[in-house]
Amino acid sequence: MTGDPALWHRLQFAFTIVYHYLFPQLTMGIAWFLVFWKYLHWRSGRAEYGAAARLWARIFGVNFAVGVVTGIPMEFQFGTNWSAFSKYSGSVIGQSLAMEGMFAFFLESAFIGALVWGEKRLGPRNHFLAALGVALGSWTSGFFIIVTNAFMQHPAGYAVAADGSLKIGSMAEYLLNPWALVQFGHNQAAALVTGSFAIAAVGAFYLLRKEHTEQGRLYLNWGSAIGLAAALLVAFPTGDAQAKLVAHHQPAALAAMEGRFETGPMADITLIGQPNVKMRRLDNPIRIPGMLSFLAFGTFHSNVQGLGAFPEDTWPTNIELLYYSFHVMAGLGTIFIALMGLANLLRWRGLLEKARPLLWVIMLAFPFPFIANTAGWMTAELGRQPWLIYGLYRTSEGYSKAVSSGDVLFTLIGFTGLYFVVGLLYLYLVGREVMHGPPAVEVH
Amino acid sequence: MVEAWFGVLCLMITFFVVLDGWDIGAGMLHFLVAKNQDERRVLIAAVGPLWSWHEVWLVATGGVLFVAFPRVLSIAFPGYYLALFLVLWTLVLRGISLEFRGHIDDGMWRSFWDFVIVVSNTLLAVLFGAALGNVVRGMPLGPEAELSLPLFTHFGVEGSVGILDWYTVSVAVFTVVTLAAHGASYLTLKTTGDVHQRSRRLSGRLWLAVAVLLAVVTGMTAMVRPELFSGIAGRPPAWLTVAVVMGGAGAIGTGLRSGQEARVFLGGIAFIAGLLATAAVSLFPVILHSTMDARNSITAYNGSADPSSLRAAAWWWPAAFVLSFFYFRFIGKHYRGRVEVSKDSQQPY
Repeated sequence: MTGDPALWHRLQFAFTIVYHYLFPQLTMGIAWFLVFWKYLHWRSGRAEYGAAARLWARIFGVNFAVGVVTGIPMEFQFGTNWSAFSKYSGSVIGQSLAMEGMFAFFLESAFIGALVWGEKRLGPRNHFLAALGVALGSWTSGFFIIVTNAFMQHPAGYAVAADGSLKIGSMAEYLLNPWALVQFGHNQAAALVTGSFAIAAVGAFYLLRKEHTEQGRLYLNWGSAIGLAAALLVAFPTGDAQAKLVAHHQPAALAAMEGRFETGPMADITLIGQPNVKMRRLDNPIRIPGMLSFLAFGTFHSNVQGLGAFPEDTWPTNIELLYYSFHVMAGLGTIFIALMGLANLLRWRGLLEKARPLLWVIMLAFPFPFIANTAGWMTAELGRQPWLIYGLYRTSEGYSKAVSSGDVLFTLIGFTGLYFVVGLLYLYLVGREVMHGPPAVEVH
Repeated sequence: MVEAWFGVLCLMITFFVVLDGWDIGAGMLHFLVAKNQDERRVLIAAVGPLWSWHEVWLVATGGVLFVAFPRVLSIAFPGYYLALFLVLWTLVLRGISLEFRGHIDDGMWRSFWDFVIVVSNTLLAVLFGAALGNVVRGMPLGPEAELSLPLFTHFGVEGSVGILDWYTVSVAVFTVVTLAAHGASYLTLKTTGDVHQRSRRLSGRLWLAVAVLLAVVTGMTAMVRPELFSGIAGRPPAWLTVAVVMGGAGAIGTGLRSGQEARVFLGGIAFIAGLLATAAVSLFPVILHSTMDARNSITAYNGSADPSSLRAAAWWWPAAFVLSFFYFRFIGKHYRGRVEVSKDSQQPY
């Protein structure tokens, strides 16, 4: 194989992580719905909450299984494909990855069996506790992964050991990295958007088909209410704070996200336009003047550096993809707020269930949070380039030199085939659960 | 501190092998023990609520290896690149087969996943057994700690070895039979009726086969790594671990004779844990033994993370480990006793 070997390692990691993260975002998003429905069922004994929890626990089970089996390769690929990086930084990032296993996965996986398989054995109270354990476990897991990623984005709490590799300087600084706290808030709110949209979509589907209407109403009401709150939280304060961190600590990434080459005050935000890296400009831009200066630094007259202000070997390696990822994420996030705002307005007036065109839109909207989440992560990871650890360690240094590009391409193709089949089976099984509707039988 | 982390790593591997070992064993015996769809549901129900909790010990082991011995990880994982991906893909198939099977009440759907259960679990036992064989035998580590293994070379155990040779294949066979026996004693404990009878019969035969194979594999190990055996006399902890193996074997033997199923199962756990501990104590401090030149070997000392990082991890690891016992308690309390299919399976529509 010719070409840059790092590319194949990057492509495999990118493909497997993007695929993997389709599942945990839904897991983390619907986990708290399950907790509340199990709680209400336990306290009030009302059958509708039990039925809702039962259907979503079944979907959750399939989703969780695929999330687990696609997640294990992620951890092992640090060793197989990024061994130089692991050796360099394992003493630091190994902390949070091992903590994820010991604190989060243990909690999550101990209770998932009880949640999915054990309603009849456990009774309402313990089954609620199982749901709570799974929800806490999955969010804790998200936190440790974000801590790991935040270190790569904005290293904190490390020191340099005698052999030149990294070691832990301060565990507290490492775990409470401000980047991690902001990114965790942003990411978890976005996962809630995915979960709420999926639940609202199934609700809209049932109402449009005029079957399981009582359940459909429940899903639509909960999904749209929490969906609006979560979509707002994604934008403010978490998205806003995230953008300000990028502006302060990764100015070249911010410039590339906006396709900005020139430096100066009154920086515009671009709504539409295509970066033309060769000519160092944006083609056919449509802009809001001064908005970028305001959003990134608080005043319209703040200076925003363009890519021209940085040496080219510190530019993100794929400016076009980074630009589009960011704009897809931000654009979809805005649409989500508008859609859920409208849905809640109609719900408040009691008109939502009769607004069939809007129900169609809500039903068909559920894939878009997956796209927005993926685009958001691509923004974070492409913006970090050319660094593996920002400012410290380049991506080109980190891959396994002992593994040939041909072997990586082979395993990448293997993953593609296996994951395609897993994806088909997943869609078939989840589709079947939705078509069947919530199990009617109450068992105790 | 390094010694403690070596111990933690071995402890985590042992937890994984003992716990997931019975799921893998039960999976291998799926067709031998359960003869029809209803009986197979019993087997699935016996491991279904537990497998992800057991498998996660492997993930946590990987995490501990990462934080405590990053150099070991960064040499061994690329060296065994394709073999590791085979493990990962097999784990994918094993996981989804258990979770997907029950969702559709259809004979062919279920037969297909039954087949995947048997194949994936057997392959996992072979792969983990070969991995253990590789750790004991060693690997062709050069002076620059570079490593890349073909699947097999000359089938010999010295010099430029491959993943498979007569020794590592033998350890793989031993592992398959041992985990099958462990799975059979678990199923004996968890089932009733015909499945119970068959599991019980198989458990007796398989543990007998394990006894024979243990003698063979021990002899082989003495040929491959004689220094491990001559060193045991000077390592008192190894006396203890060998005693645990013999105690476990004794419990299995007397348990089988007197029909005390729990004793056989617990004896099996002691036997497996004792064997792994014996291997760990004999190998210490070497983690990656070089077949080319012992001076190239990677030990716990030259493969470990910076002491400050080991100290930092020593603060949180014990807390997480203690917490895991609460989960053990929760699971143990709710899944005590024999499987009842009506309570323990996912109902199809």
